[in-house]
Amino acid sequence: MAKKIYEIMNTKLETIPADATVYEAIEKLIDKRIRSLLVLPKDEKDRPGVVTVRNIIFKVLAKNLDPHKVKISEISSKPLITVSKEATVEDVLALMEKYNIARVFIKEGDEIVGVVSFFDIMAHILIERAKS
Amino acid sequence: MLEKLLGGGKLEKKVLDTTKKYLQILRSAMECLKNVFLTENIEETYCIDALEREADSLRREIISIIYEGAFLPYIRPNICNFIEITEKAFDALKTCAFEFRYLNKDLFQKIKEDVLRIANINLDMSEILIKAFSALIEKNNIREKNLAIRIYEKRVDEIKLDIADKIRKWEITNFWDGKNISEFIEALTKISDIIEDASDYLYIIDLSLK
Repeated sequence: MAKKIYEIMNTKLETIPADATVYEAIEKLIDKRIRSLLVLPKDEKDRPGVVTVRNIIFKVLAKNLDPHKVKISEISSKPLITVSKEATVEDVLALMEKYNIARVFIKEGDEIVGVVSFFDIMAHILIERAKS
Repeated sequence: MLEKLLGGGKLEKKVLDTTKKYLQILRSAMECLKNVFLTENIEETYCIDALEREADSLRREIISIIYEGAFLPYIRPNICNFIEITEKAFDALKTCAFEFRYLNKDLFQKIKEDVLRIANINLDMSEILIKAFSALIEKNNIREKNLAIRIYEKRVDEIKLDIADKIRKWEITNFWDGKNISEFIEALTKISDIIEDASDYLYIIDLSLK
């Protein structure tokens, strides 16, 4: 039976407010040694987003913009690509391929409970190979 | 591969079969520890002591067969070292079970989910170690097993850091509660380190036979 995504997802979600600066995000990414942050909605009408190292490089640093002055909300990607925690690893891989994204967020009801990245999928595939 | 390379005599076969049994007992002990955490039944912790005694007797048997002349002399220390490394996993399992008996259960509830994740990973790792040992004998791909074990070990390291982050925020006023939970976590997270060492050792044996 195909493995459910909640079995391999990473439940440690690092977040950042939408009105924080890009520099604050860079500090957090470096301190936590991660590559993305979940961007919290500004208000009830807003939706969560994601800011990645890729966003920061292409939308700020490569354009010589000042990371102290650019707000996260200006560069974050929305809407989040999400799946239910009951989805299979194959479902997530298909989404990654379709949208050309490196991570998919996992939802339980309306709440985001985890994230799965390419690295998690690769580790999962290697472990399954070793078990067979 | 070992059997073929070293003649595949009766003594060698006995060592390999007994080692497989020994590793199966290690797997059973991992499963037992996982059940202890699930059920929180203190009585179940004693199954680890029983399994450790059983493993101890197999370990002595393996070493004495090797002394009787199994395997070429240069390979003997490698087999003995592998067994001695895995023996440390039993020590860590025993410490973990012992500390669990005295653990403040309110504190345990706060980290139960993480502890169970580690126990599951330890169980998976012990299963892969068995497959790695079989791969060594059957000349299959031991490198893939070794890599999977390394991936798992890094996961345990990450969970250990998460637990440490949580624990640092607690105010533990009883000395024994603090000592107890610290030694419990230390022993629990050491198991994956030991399995990784054992797997690395198998990989080295594999390389040395090529």
